[in-house]
Amino acid sequence: MTCDAARLQIGAEPASSNPALEEHLQSCAGCRQFRDEMRALDANIRRAMEQPPELEPARPVRAPPPVGWQPRAWRQWALAASVALATFAVLALWLLRPTDTLARDVVVHVQAEPESWLDQQQISTPDIVTALRKAGVQLDLTSARITYAHMCLFRGRYVPHLVMQTASGPTTILLLRHEPVTARRTFHDDGMSGVLVPLGQGSIAVLARGGDGVEQVAQLMQQDVHWLPDGH
Amino acid sequence: MSDRRPAASALTAAPADAPAALTQLFESLRPDLLRFAHWLARDRAIAEDIVQESLLRAWRSRDALQEPGAARAWLLTIVRREHARLYERKRLELVPIDEVAEGYGAPRQAGPDDDLTTLRDAIMRLPLEYREPLVLQVLGGFSTEEISRELALSKTAVLTRLFRARNKLRVLCGLAAAPDVADGEVPA
Repeated sequence: MTCDAARLQIGAEPASSNPALEEHLQSCAGCRQFRDEMRALDANIRRAMEQPPELEPARPVRAPPPVGWQPRAWRQWALAASVALATFAVLALWLLRPTDTLARDVVVHVQAEPESWLDQQQISTPDIVTALRKAGVQLDLTSARITYAHMCLFRGRYVPHLVMQTASGPTTILLLRHEPVTARRTFHDDGMSGVLVPLGQGSIAVLARGGDGVEQVAQLMQQDVHWLPDGH
Repeated sequence: MSDRRPAASALTAAPADAPAALTQLFESLRPDLLRFAHWLARDRAIAEDIVQESLLRAWRSRDALQEPGAARAWLLTIVRREHARLYERKRLELVPIDEVAEGYGAPRQAGPDDDLTTLRDAIMRLPLEYREPLVLQVLGGFSTEEISRELALSKTAVLTRLFRARNKLRVLCGLAAAPDVADGEVPA
């Protein structure tokens, strides 16, 4: 058995074994270490899966203080300082918040899919065009380099999420057929800059880290994207 | 989802003379089913819909369940198929399949306190083609052969996907990626 074959087997089924694998492990310290690491990782995967993120139980409620308990003076000051700090933090967040919640949702969505900007493999444009038609979008684009294309749940609807590679780097495009905006709006949030442009009854969100090239892509999309009528 | 039902028990739709034991069995498995559906759908509300629909389907075809001991695997299979049906209706089929571990960029080192949180996030970010067999294996307890039957894939393809899923998680947890395997490569 080769190391590649051993690691494929260990990676696929860390808990299982067979005589050929055991024989290989006898003479291969690297694969033995790999199995130890994979078994440890697998135990953690098992523990992690027992509790999906949104199903985590609420934090335990603290027991009430004993009868007759009095807060010390420094605690009251600490409490007052905490309240003031929290108020300041909320105020700061409010002042610095993006003015547009749609823009904020776009940023949050892109932040939740960091891998979308890492894919480098180009997806066939005709495939994208065909698939988008099924989603009610006509895309006339022929030369763009799209490296990421998913239907994503966004504000309760599945929307096309594309990443186009430009000279300035990856640029995200969300085709928001059901999110109208009244006018073009730029936004800047958490190191990302973008623009929301109206298109028919919906809108298109384009954003990139740093924001270079966003305007160009937005213009391109406004020209090349058309919403197809329902039941097209 | 436009046709989302209330989160009430699917079994309320069962006939009044429903065998109490079966009702109880299904209900006792609901948390497992919801957890399983949640890992597949990555959305709590959608997972609840899937489980709701799955329990209704299971109830309608309850005669197919011969052994109560097989109920968990049977229901998990129904949930997976229900998710697949929903997914096929909703997704764009244009994402390349052969993504490999290095696509995730710089490794992230998890501290002891946030190991599980990091892993949960990483599992949630796995593409479905890798997440689905991993969830079936780890959470569902399905063997590689059973997964290959369920997903209509060769056993080798399932092994490759399971390997890649864990290899991606290795990288995200700060460990070195193992060399990727070619599709269809069979262990010697």
